Amino acid sequence: MLLRAPSRAWPRLSQLRTGGSQVQCARPRPFSRQRPAEPGGQGQPRGPGLRTRLLVTGLLGAGLGGAWLALRAEKQQRQQQRRTEALRQAAVGQGDFHLLDHHGRARCKADFRGQWVLVYFGFTHCPDICPDELEKLVQVVRRLEAEPGLPAVQPVFITVDPERDDVSAMARYVQDFHPRLLGLTGSAEQVAQVSRSYRVYYSAGPKDEDQDYIVDHSIAIYLLSPDGLFTDYYGRGRSAEQIADSVRRHMATFRSI
Amino acid sequence: MAAPTMKERQACWGARDEYWKCLDEHMEDASQCRKLRSSFESSCPQQWIKYFDKRRDYLKFKEKFEAGQFQPSKSTANS
Repeated sequence: MLLRAPSRAWPRLSQLRTGGSQVQCARPRPFSRQRPAEPGGQGQPRGPGLRTRLLVTGLLGAGLGGAWLALRAEKQQRQQQRRTEALRQAAVGQGDFHLLDHHGRARCKADFRGQWVLVYFGFTHCPDICPDELEKLVQVVRRLEAEPGLPAVQPVFITVDPERDDVSAMARYVQDFHPRLLGLTGSAEQVAQVSRSYRVYYSAGPKDEDQDYIVDHSIAIYLLSPDGLFTDYYGRGRSAEQIADSVRRHMATFRSI
Repeated sequence: MAAPTMKERQACWGARDEYWKCLDEHMEDASQCRKLRSSFESSCPQQWIKYFDKRRDYLKFKEKFEAGQFQPSKSTANS
C-alpha cells in the first residue's frame, strides 16, 4: 500500500503533462478515461526509475559540463599560445631598429625589453592629427599610471620626417606631451627601416617657399609587449578609454616567452 | 623652420575654429569672415592653412554625405 500510493500519484502527473500539450482540447474524454487504468500496472517499475534517471542525467550533465569547461580553458590557453606564436612570426615589427632618442642616446629595440610600449609615428610639423593622437596616447599612459599594480607603459614617438626632426627638434616637441614620452629619430635610412618594419607609409608633400611641407603618413598606435612583440594596434577611431581597456586586457593575459 | 610649439598650435587651432564658426554662420560666405580669415592666416603656418582649408572641404563633404544629401550625379555635372 505504501508503495502504491506514490506510484499512483506519479502516473497522474505524467498524464497531466502529456495531456496538456497534445490531447486536452482535441479529445479530452476518451483519453482521460483510458489512462488511469493503463499506467496503474506499468507505473510501478517506472516510478523509482525516475529518480535514478534524474540522478544519472544530473551526474552525466555535471560531468559533461565539467569536461566542457576544462576543454574550453585548454582551448583558450592553446589560442593564447597560437596568438603569441603568430605574433612572433607576424610581418609587423620584425627585426631591430637603430635610432637616437631626444637626448641624443642610441636606442635599439632591445632597450625596451621588459616594458610595455605604446608607439606612434608622426612628425613635429604635423597640423592636427599627430598632436591629437599623441595627446590620446599620453592619456592612455596617464590612465594606466593611475592604477596601482599595473606595469609601467613607455610612450614612444617616432618621426617620419628625419629631414627636419633632429634630436633637438624632437626634444622640444615631446616635452609638451608627457615627461616620459620618448622621441626617436635617425637618418633617412634608419627611419625608413623602422617604418617599413611597422608597415607605416609616409610621403613628404611638396615644399612651399618657406621650405615647409606636410608629411602624409599612416596613423596607428602600436602596442608592444615586454618581449618586444607587436601585440596590437589602434586606429584613429579608438578612444583613450578603449585603448587603455585593451592594454589592460593584454597585460592580464600576457605570459612572457 | 622650427615646428610650432604647443602654445602656437593652440593659438592656430583657436583662430581656425573661429573662422570656421563664422563660415558656418554665414553659409560658407567667406566675404563675411575676412577679419577672422586674416587672423587665422597670421596664427598658422602657410602649409597648415592649405591643409585646414582642404580639411574643411572634406569635413563638409563628409557631413553632407553622411546626412544623405550628397547627389553624385549632380555634383559631377557641376564640376
